[in-house]
Amino acid sequence: MGLVESGKMPKSITKLLNISRKYSLWMYQWGLACCALEMAAAIGSPRYDAMRLGVIPFPASPRQADLLIVSGTVTDKMAPAILRLYEQMPDPKYVISMGSCANCGGPYWDSYSVTKGVDQIVPVDVYVPGCPPRPEALLEGIVLLQEMIHNEDPAERWKGNDGEYAVVGGGEIS
Amino acid sequence: MSTTEDVATEQEEEVETDAVREAIAGAFAEHLGDGLLDQHIVPGRDLTIRVDAGSWVSAARFARDRLGMTWFDFVAGIDWLPSPFGREMEAEQDWVVHGRDEQETEEMSTGVAGGDSRFQAFMRLHSTEEHIGVTIKTDLANDAPAIDTLIAVYPGANWHERELSEMFGVDVVGHPDLRALYLPTDFEGNPLRKDFPLVARRVKPWPGIVDVEGMPEEEEAADESAEAAPATGDSTQGASTEGASTEGASTEGASTEGVSTEGASTEGESAEGESAE
Repeated sequence: MGLVESGKMPKSITKLLNISRKYSLWMYQWGLACCALEMAAAIGSPRYDAMRLGVIPFPASPRQADLLIVSGTVTDKMAPAILRLYEQMPDPKYVISMGSCANCGGPYWDSYSVTKGVDQIVPVDVYVPGCPPRPEALLEGIVLLQEMIHNEDPAERWKGNDGEYAVVGGGEIS
Repeated sequence: MSTTEDVATEQEEEVETDAVREAIAGAFAEHLGDGLLDQHIVPGRDLTIRVDAGSWVSAARFARDRLGMTWFDFVAGIDWLPSPFGREMEAEQDWVVHGRDEQETEEMSTGVAGGDSRFQAFMRLHSTEEHIGVTIKTDLANDAPAIDTLIAVYPGANWHERELSEMFGVDVVGHPDLRALYLPTDFEGNPLRKDFPLVARRVKPWPGIVDVEGMPEEEEAADESAEAAPATGDSTQGASTEGASTEGASTEGASTEGVSTEGASTEGESAEGESAE
């Protein structure tokens, strides 16, 4: 993929590649607390059925995953494991932070043991606020991420110039 | 009618004294002698005894062998020190940030069955046959709290004592493997001690103090004033008080619930509420 990294790929090919990527997101899940139940409802139940969006849960290992969804409370003890497994994922990779705990520490914002937001250890592309968010909110987050991927310039992303993020329901992360 | 009253009074009299628990406390007193410092019985409900630190293990062994208390519930610690940072949940200001009023310092209390020290250790033992339990507590030294291990009596105490050690900084004498159980290996400090500082509080006041919603008392006052206004029926009254308490709520409710089938009725009720106000 030397062409992609150098940014010399024709635009139409880039667009085709982006469309292909956004509809085959292998999703690596970190269900750490009650948000995991909402995530399970979003991906596992026929009512919400995230697979119709092209999100494929249950990759055999992080090495086969494109998308990391952290749903729940990240503790300081768990944080190194998340970072390590995130680093094992191949580029390009994306992160959705689901729920108040993963976004900023949530109700445990002053705890001695909770990491104040997973974005302290991995770059987050989409924040899904809520305590916990409903499955619809996670689906919205996935759609937002797919929009980001659709309009992405892979060369910029892979140079590490990408600092963009989206928030479900709007707003800014301060 | 009279029979049920008699039964009720009999039951009340029955729980005034508790022969079973008093017998257990008496057995402990006989076995431990001066080692039993205090006891507290809630008739029909609970028994707490306080022993000196030297009798900690022998009290557990006695309870297991002679009193049939074979089920070990837990060992835990407690720090009775009033928090130097105040009870933030009730405070008007965050004392971590704004500093604390001098006159508000509280006296240290040590709960049922008393105590002389800041740290205490608890164990809860239970008899699965008699269906009765006892809480045994003991005082720990203030400067270097230490306690003998219970593993010889109850092997299940192992992890409880590791948690006691990491959370309160209590040295468990004779414990074979006193590593941290929950905390990361390099964690410094004992987080369940009351004087353990929460760093996040130093940076930012407790967000709950600047709550944007009205306090419950204010809501109640608004409800009462709305109830004083004439209402057509019970069901509409509830809706009208809701509508009257906050102006924004009625319009918001109508716009969000407009898509549901109940939307029409909610809209009508909230409109009535505004007219009643």
